[in-house]
Amino acid sequence: MTDTLPRFTGFGLGLRREHQRDFIEHEQPVEFVEIISENFMACGGRPMRSLDAVRERHPVAMHGVSMSLGSADGLDPYYLAELKALARHVDPLWISDHLCWTRTGGFATHDLLPLPYTDEALAVCIANILRAQDVLERPLLIENPSSYVTFAESTMSEWQFLAALTRETGCYLLLDVNNVYVSSINHGFDAQAFLAGIPADRVRQIHLAGHSAGPEGMLIDTHDAPVCPEVWALYAQALDRFGLCATMIERDDAMPPLSDLLDEMAVARDHASKPSLAA
Amino acid sequence: MSLLALQTAFRDEIVAGDEGPPPSSLGMDIYRSAYRGRLLTALETSFERTHRWVGEEAFTAAASHYVLMHPPRAWSLDDYGCGFPALLETLFADDPEVDELAWLEWNMQRAFAAPDIPELDPAALAAADYSESDWDRLGFTMAAGFARRPIMTNCTALWSALVDDTDFVITTENAFLLVWRSGLLPRFRVCEEAEYYALTLLAERCTLGAIAQSVAAERLAHWLTRWLREGIFAEATLR
Repeated sequence: MTDTLPRFTGFGLGLRREHQRDFIEHEQPVEFVEIISENFMACGGRPMRSLDAVRERHPVAMHGVSMSLGSADGLDPYYLAELKALARHVDPLWISDHLCWTRTGGFATHDLLPLPYTDEALAVCIANILRAQDVLERPLLIENPSSYVTFAESTMSEWQFLAALTRETGCYLLLDVNNVYVSSINHGFDAQAFLAGIPADRVRQIHLAGHSAGPEGMLIDTHDAPVCPEVWALYAQALDRFGLCATMIERDDAMPPLSDLLDEMAVARDHASKPSLAA
Repeated sequence: MSLLALQTAFRDEIVAGDEGPPPSSLGMDIYRSAYRGRLLTALETSFERTHRWVGEEAFTAAASHYVLMHPPRAWSLDDYGCGFPALLETLFADDPEVDELAWLEWNMQRAFAAPDIPELDPAALAAADYSESDWDRLGFTMAAGFARRPIMTNCTALWSALVDDTDFVITTENAFLLVWRSGLLPRFRVCEEAEYYALTLLAERCTLGAIAQSVAAERLAHWLTRWLREGIFAEATLR
């Protein structure tokens, strides 16, 4: 898969049920919206009509949580077929999912579970990404997840693993700046080393989100709070390294009014309007 | 350890719950808690009215039991509660309105978002100019989200009453419940046994002629008019 994916530089929000009416009834100042793919797969009725109404106003990115690209027992062909059918309907800007596994032996965990960064896991992810890209007939964007455990078996860093995936599969990256920050605190790595270690020319989207404090100093990626100052600072550094790329405020819980998220998005716009980036 | 072995062991540890051995690390405890919390939230979301009817304690106990006994297999969390009404039937054997209410909640939501299939246009059927023998060979595909079951209580009135949180008295009502989607709206209604079995036969690919063997023509014509008006069919086919 060698297709190139043009850079898209707008700002967007997730299309969540709480805000669907806002998007359908009023013009919103966003350049794209992102949907959770699984919410619309094998689906019709009013949810699909609502998505169609939003699509008339805004380009849509499809973001998945259940492809399970790190599953040692491979991808689910039924899942891929349904995802492809949705992509045909939506004509998305791109399709993304996570560097994680969610399923094994037919059991779905509904969580983004971490991988050991080993040669075997790399080979599994490469094979799965190539297969998904082949079925979907487009390159994927792969997102770095937050994690709460590491594995003694790992022989490379998360960013080395991601860089290898882009080289071997032609995939692109969805950089979740909050996840970089959360994992850097949980595992004690240098967040700037993460940013420096992934290929700048492969980043096509950025997620910004909030997190919460967990036990014993751990951070939990809860998507239920505003973006914190440390993540805004890391976002500024990411912009310096990767240039302008599609940026989204990702909120999934303790959902505020849409206006609050638009205000947060305006902060992201301010960061991106620095003269060095506008040039 | 191979990746497959690692993922299997990881899965076993998060599924074990409080009954299993303690988590091997703080991080695994976070994953285990998140797994259970996510599934419980999915059930609370899918069965909001059932939750309200049985109360917090009874619902959480039933949902926790379900989470332990039914590890999810579908890739969508929206599908997770599929077997929950059946579990409630066992747990609340003396209160049949509980699983009937849960079944109605579940199937109304399924009908709401069921994949689209074109609704049968009564005018097109009328214009088809079928002969008498054609009518005998006519079968139907059911509308999006069509589901049916016998009921023993006034669970449909309970379903409506729970919107307003009004006091409610359960009464016995041996009847049959239908759910389907017409246009964008999920619908339900109660019917009598004979109509229920006629629709069951049609859903199982029998023809109008087969049903006419045991139902008077006038009665069948009355039902057919109603079914077409209600949008209960998606397609008519000569079989």
